[in-house]
Amino acid sequence: MHEYAVVSELIGAVLPRLAEHRGRVRTVVLRKGELRILSDHALASAFEILAQGTRLEGANLAVETVAAVVSCPACGYHGSTGRFGDDGHYSIPILTCPRCGGSVDVAAGRELYVDRVTLSDDPATAG
Amino acid sequence: MHDVRFSGEDILARQLELADANYRRLREKRIRSVSVLGAIGSGKTTLVEQAIDRLHGRGLRVGTIAADSAGDDDHRRFVARGASSVNVNTQDDCHLDAHTVSHALDRLPLDEIDVLFIENVGNLICPADFPLGADVEIVVISVTEGDDMVRKHPKIFAQTDVVAVNKVDLASAVGVSPERIAADYSSVNPHGKLVLTSLRSGEGIDALLDLVGLGCTSTQW
Repeated sequence: MHEYAVVSELIGAVLPRLAEHRGRVRTVVLRKGELRILSDHALASAFEILAQGTRLEGANLAVETVAAVVSCPACGYHGSTGRFGDDGHYSIPILTCPRCGGSVDVAAGRELYVDRVTLSDDPATAG
Repeated sequence: MHDVRFSGEDILARQLELADANYRRLREKRIRSVSVLGAIGSGKTTLVEQAIDRLHGRGLRVGTIAADSAGDDDHRRFVARGASSVNVNTQDDCHLDAHTVSHALDRLPLDEIDVLFIENVGNLICPADFPLGADVEIVVISVTEGDDMVRKHPKIFAQTDVVAVNKVDLASAVGVSPERIAADYSSVNPHGKLVLTSLRSGEGIDALLDLVGLGCTSTQW
């Protein structure tokens, strides 16, 4: 449900940037860290609804997942983590150092940003 | 086709900035702040009530922000306990956000508060992506939610550093093992801290306050 609040912010950030670009908006690419608690399906639904009546209406929201990376202040490890529930269906990173077991800083995996927007070069639909 | 590249700024950057502003404002006033999250009926309000009593007993002044979709039941419970409280109705929103909290702070006598509790709307999932600016966060779950609670929501518990497993006095009645909840939590979050509580009777509240820097011997704020 909170995906609507996120998509509302997303649309508010994207629309002003597109004012100087012509063409029909095809795809908005969102990069989402895997530690974010946001449903891709709910994001897509919210986008479809909230984009109505804007230049983004009819565009596709593509979500690219960014894997978690941790840094260990104790031993200097930097890289991926062990996982919980790793049975091929749904697993999540365990935020501990896989080398020394120490507490870690999250270096990647909490991102949530628009990476790019793809527009068609169709002059008839110039915006 | 052509691409327009974006700067990579977080979509919720505005929320993060507002949360940071709340954090700095509370720090300036030397207020220790605790955000309390959890599902409907997990025991968040009872936790705050017990904390108010304990902290009042030590001469500390408590403020509260009570958030619910509607009504002021929790707010009135906190006022009855002597807290300076603000009621927030989020209506159809499923979570508090930093902006709403900043307005609630405007309505609190911040110079007369030592510890602030922000009780979120009853909802385990949605508030997780919306930081409010509190120093620490407690997630409250109750044994009545089932002992597979952590396994079903691992991503939340992997990122939650303090968990209260409440209503442990009812565990045998509902056939739930608090130990299993604790073991699952330890698997997803090896560095997290968990306390078994029965908050209606006050069991576990002291251990919980200790974990969030509000114990009898805490002096860090």
